[in-house]
Amino acid sequence: MNKITLMILTATILLAAPAYSAEPTGLEIMQQVDARDDGDDLIQKMKQRLVDRRGDVREREMISFRKDYGKDSKSITYFLAPSNIRDTALLTWDYDGIAKDDDQWLYLPALKKVRRISSSDRGDYFMGTDFTFEDIKQTPELEDYNWMLIGSEMLDGQAMWVVEGKPKSDELKKNLGYSNTRYYVRKDINMYVRVDFWDRKGQELKHLVSGEIKQINGIWTAMSGTMSNVQSGHRTELTFSEHSYNTGLSDNTFSERMLKRGYRGK
Amino acid sequence: MKKIFNWVLTHPKSIVLLLLLITGLAASQMRHIYIETDMDAMLPKHSDAYINKQVLEERFGSTDMVIIGIINNAKDGVYNTHSLELVQELTDWLAEQPQFRTLALNDLLSLATIKDIRGSDAGLDVEKFMDGVPETQAQIDHLKQRMHDFGVYEDVIVSADGSGTIFAARPMPDSRHQYAEIYGLVKAKVAELEARGGSERFFISGRPVIEGVFGVYMPAEMKRMQPIVMSLLLVLLFLSFRTPRGVLLPIAVVLMAEIWTLGTMAALGAPIYTITTMLPILILAIGIADAVHFLSRERLLAHHQAYSHRKERMVEVMHELWKPMLMTTVTTGAGFLSMLASELPPIRDFGMFAAVGIIYALLITMLLLPAALILLPEKAKHAERKPLFSGYVEWLGGAVLNHPKRIMAFFTALLVVSIVGVMKLDVNASLVDQFKPDDPLRQADKMLNQHFSGTTSLDVMIDTGRENGLLEPQFLQHLIDLQDEIEKDSMVGDSSSIAEFLQTMNQALHADDPAWNRVPESSDMAAQYLLLYSFSGAPDDFETFMTGDYRQAHVRINMKTDETKVVAALLERMQAKTDLWFPEDKGYKVEWAGTGFTVYRLSEMIIDGQLASLATSILAIFLLCWWMFKRLLIAAIAMIPVSLAVTVNYGMMGNFGIPLDIATALTGAMALGIGVDFAIHYLHRYHEESVAGNSYRDSVINTNRSVGHAILFNTFVVVGGFLVLLSAALYPQMKLGALIAATMVICYLATCYLFPVLLGLGKEKIKV
Repeated sequence: MNKITLMILTATILLAAPAYSAEPTGLEIMQQVDARDDGDDLIQKMKQRLVDRRGDVREREMISFRKDYGKDSKSITYFLAPSNIRDTALLTWDYDGIAKDDDQWLYLPALKKVRRISSSDRGDYFMGTDFTFEDIKQTPELEDYNWMLIGSEMLDGQAMWVVEGKPKSDELKKNLGYSNTRYYVRKDINMYVRVDFWDRKGQELKHLVSGEIKQINGIWTAMSGTMSNVQSGHRTELTFSEHSYNTGLSDNTFSERMLKRGYRGK
Repeated sequence: MKKIFNWVLTHPKSIVLLLLLITGLAASQMRHIYIETDMDAMLPKHSDAYINKQVLEERFGSTDMVIIGIINNAKDGVYNTHSLELVQELTDWLAEQPQFRTLALNDLLSLATIKDIRGSDAGLDVEKFMDGVPETQAQIDHLKQRMHDFGVYEDVIVSADGSGTIFAARPMPDSRHQYAEIYGLVKAKVAELEARGGSERFFISGRPVIEGVFGVYMPAEMKRMQPIVMSLLLVLLFLSFRTPRGVLLPIAVVLMAEIWTLGTMAALGAPIYTITTMLPILILAIGIADAVHFLSRERLLAHHQAYSHRKERMVEVMHELWKPMLMTTVTTGAGFLSMLASELPPIRDFGMFAAVGIIYALLITMLLLPAALILLPEKAKHAERKPLFSGYVEWLGGAVLNHPKRIMAFFTALLVVSIVGVMKLDVNASLVDQFKPDDPLRQADKMLNQHFSGTTSLDVMIDTGRENGLLEPQFLQHLIDLQDEIEKDSMVGDSSSIAEFLQTMNQALHADDPAWNRVPESSDMAAQYLLLYSFSGAPDDFETFMTGDYRQAHVRINMKTDETKVVAALLERMQAKTDLWFPEDKGYKVEWAGTGFTVYRLSEMIIDGQLASLATSILAIFLLCWWMFKRLLIAAIAMIPVSLAVTVNYGMMGNFGIPLDIATALTGAMALGIGVDFAIHYLHRYHEESVAGNSYRDSVINTNRSVGHAILFNTFVVVGGFLVLLSAALYPQMKLGALIAATMVICYLATCYLFPVLLGLGKEKIKV
């Protein structure tokens, strides 16, 4: 994303807003969330724990590389464990907006082939987790929702904006699988720490709750997050570690060649 | 005893008040009664079919789905824009109903939700078959082609000839009490779609629907039968007594007994099962006998003016009757209690509460009747009136003595025919067959089974004993082998497992080359395919086929019937195969579950329980008779008519092709318990007559005169009461009604016709 433009825009809004009202609007808060600095590139280790309603756990470990290209981004993720999917790798080219579908390729070491993954609906689940393709984006597509600030709240000793986002049309509701979402945004760092989701029928569906939030390389980072589906009893716990921001990853990192080569450690 | 009787007669008001109080208390309990429609709850909790079903639901999710079928017999079947629009509309509608769970793909399966897995040069495409309603003929043809090529859903979601398509929707968990409501909801929606015209016809079935309909039928049946049986009793009582008290008092007795019984059931937390819905009728029909005996005797004594005081007369009646009444109650009760030998809770409950009911009836008769008669003003005696059927009863006494050979010949022939029938006796615990052949639900089920893979579920759960165990190529291949073997059975419509999906993915990832339609060659490859798939699927797309740790697999089988015979044959054939492919010593564990398996286990328990309860009741009743008559031989003779009647009962079932099921299984012990009363009454009287020094001939004629009427009345009440069941909405009730009625007729004939002949054979011995 073009950060400078956006920062100017945000600044303008921030400066202009008090002239009309004491509080920002829901949309403004979400724009600030979207504009938050999350580094130009990032390397991190990630651990996934998929826990089903019976408490059975499936664990995966991976390392992922991400780099921003304006408002688009590219990422590559190598699976480290379990052993039967080791060296499997996922390359994603993530395009801003909904005009163009994201591109995804998966390298399967057992087949020694790269396979393209067909584009998914935004409401489709991702990698057997409780996250949909929409959820794994840093922020939802702001223009698809009607945002409304519904209040302020204290959560874990932090002041929060509570912003509700409802998909604008029935078509979008169907597509996203949500009729309503509610974001709890920390006022001090413009970061959401909790999201509640309601399904198309208006019933409570999922909660995303972030764990510890730390500043790493000057960037606010959630060290873990849990998405729980209250209807199915399934949940996905993510823990992140070994973050390095802005290491200047080269464009080559996000190529098919690297996908096949696999992760060779540091 | 006399002290107690006197006390009853000196405190009539207290007695009546007490009875009314207890009745009020019982009635207040009745609101706690609940109806159990879950077929699995008919199994004892320790049965593997019950346990495995719980495990299946816990591990792989419930397999109980509401099934809606659309059949279009026009040329293109459902492959036309109009039908596909209906598919889309109904799918969207189902997805919006809060009564249905729509979390994962397997929660709502229809042509508009299922996904196609397809290979392309670049990779794997997982797409919905229908992304919106296809508009052009070319799109429709493409859809049809893909459905055929993909194969997994052919016959399952769309019939092979394209004439029909299915929706399978999963009700929300723990919503069993709403099944009837859900059925109503779906029915209304379907009616709305049908009313718009078009050549599509809709059919609704599935286990939740069947159970929902049971839930509606059962209380409705109880409410409907009650007045019919009551009016029958009123008529018979009026014919017998022709006084208001003669009609109303016995009715009050049995109504109280009924309320007490239902109140007891409610208080003990016993649910109403399909067969226990017959309890009220049973208590009315059997319980009335004691009251009738009491009133008849009282009237007779009053007529002869044997006692000047009413109280004395009443004490005499009670004294005379309490023993035989207790005896017949005990023997009938023994017949019912023998059902406790069965392992099936509905049969056990039926037996226990039927016994409780008739004991209540006896108790209430002995308390309410004397108390009420004391309280009511004594009326002028009724004119002597010849009881109905006197001519017949008179004729009978002589006739049996004149044609012993014909009678013997008739019963011998009956016995031979029956024994032939017994050989053909079959068992069938089918859920669907409990509906009459013309019931809309059974019709719908038949239709769906004709066009699709089948509405009866049978499930195999295989535990590989280790994490990732199911990804191994050899195991996957054996799953495929198992499916192939199962699908050889013509009554199996389809089976599916994770192995099938992995085969399809393997083919898709090899440029859709059918040669690659085989299981992945390594465990790693299978794991990577599943990972690849997970980019397009929900976390629980395959939840129904395997556990998250890849340790336990589930093979789902759709059968076209839930008839015991078919399921039993399949299970026996599969046992050897699963032992071979998934040996226990290698850590595998194979468990069966599902409706098919439940039916299979139910059948086994029906047969086992049947034999046990028959043996118990014959022995118990025999011992009781022995104790009562103090003579082994008389006890043995007493058993003859009922044994014959029971044999004829099973013979009829065999000859008419009526299988043993959870209801008809009750007939044996029931007929035995009720029928033996006739024999006891008859023998008791005959014995008295012989002892009094009468010749064989006179004894027969006198016995007939004395007890012939009572036995005939009893037969009428019981036969009439059970014939009311012919109007039942449920098939087993109907069959049970007809069988018991027919068996009681045989019992009557055997008692009044065969007995005298048999006693004639052994007249010297029995005379003493």
